[in-house]
Amino acid sequence: MKDIMRVKCLLSSDVEALLNQQIKKEAHSSSIYLAMASWCNQNGFDFSSDYFFKQAEEERQHQLKFFKYVLDMGGTAISPEITAVKTEFNSFREIFEDALDQEISVTQSIKNIAARCYKEQDFVTVEFLNWFFKEQREEEYKARRALELFELIGEEGTGSWEIDKNVGKIKYSSEAE
Amino acid sequence: MAITITAPNTTTLNWTKVFGNYAGTIYQSDSESCWYVEFAGKTARFDYRNILKLKKAVYNIDIEALLLNSEKAADLEILFICACDHCYVLSLLEIIALKDLLQGTFVMLELNHIIHDRLVRI
Ligand SMILES: [Fe+2]
Ligand SMILES: [Fe+2]
Repeated sequence: MKDIMRVKCLLSSDVEALLNQQIKKEAHSSSIYLAMASWCNQNGFDFSSDYFFKQAEEERQHQLKFFKYVLDMGGTAISPEITAVKTEFNSFREIFEDALDQEISVTQSIKNIAARCYKEQDFVTVEFLNWFFKEQREEEYKARRALELFELIGEEGTGSWEIDKNVGKIKYSSEAE
Repeated sequence: MAITITAPNTTTLNWTKVFGNYAGTIYQSDSESCWYVEFAGKTARFDYRNILKLKKAVYNIDIEALLLNSEKAADLEILFICACDHCYVLSLLEIIALKDLLQGTFVMLELNHIIHDRLVRI
């Protein structure tokens, strides 16, 4: 009897389901960042607003990367429904706390997919995921740096204005490449 | 157009039985790269995409909720698979039987995959 399932698709149904879940997570991230960009813009934090617009764009690219991978491997990529996007924030600082939480949850979720891949020896998908691990290093670094500005500068007086200006300058250029 | 064959002669058709239970049988046709599901009084052809859609549709039915449902309405579930010629109108017992049939089938297909890996591929 032919192994039709394997001939048609490289991914196991479990890995395929996890990748589709990740597609949804990335799409959700993109929407959250867009909501953050909106809040920052309305409250006069233009640099932060730009920063989150860029993040939203990046998350969209991540979503498409996963989407195309699933299709390339013969799987079914599902366009996700995005619900429960937080649009109200209590403070400028809360936004950056949420942003870091979001990135941490994405890293954890990709680690979970990789663990599943190792278990079933899907090294092809592991290799694909490696790009994301490097990306998450940068994403978490930037989110952490932004939050640290609140400690370093403080929000009193022109503090928030100063923080906002510095958010625009955050870059990840490390020798740990 | 529905391709429905009743009481198929599986030997002349070269179908391999994948799994069967009290309510039905699923065969694989290597030459056509598809499966034939003999269930609820008919034999229906499913290709790779469609059998996965059927699996998803059946697995997504909340059997527990149907069991606990005390409404007087008939406990019939309509399974309609997009871009597939077949549709099933099933009672609760038939849903349970079909789910069992599909579960057994996918276990056998997984086993077949492992055997291929061990014997031929690695
Ligand atoms: Fe991402
Ligand atoms: Fe991110």
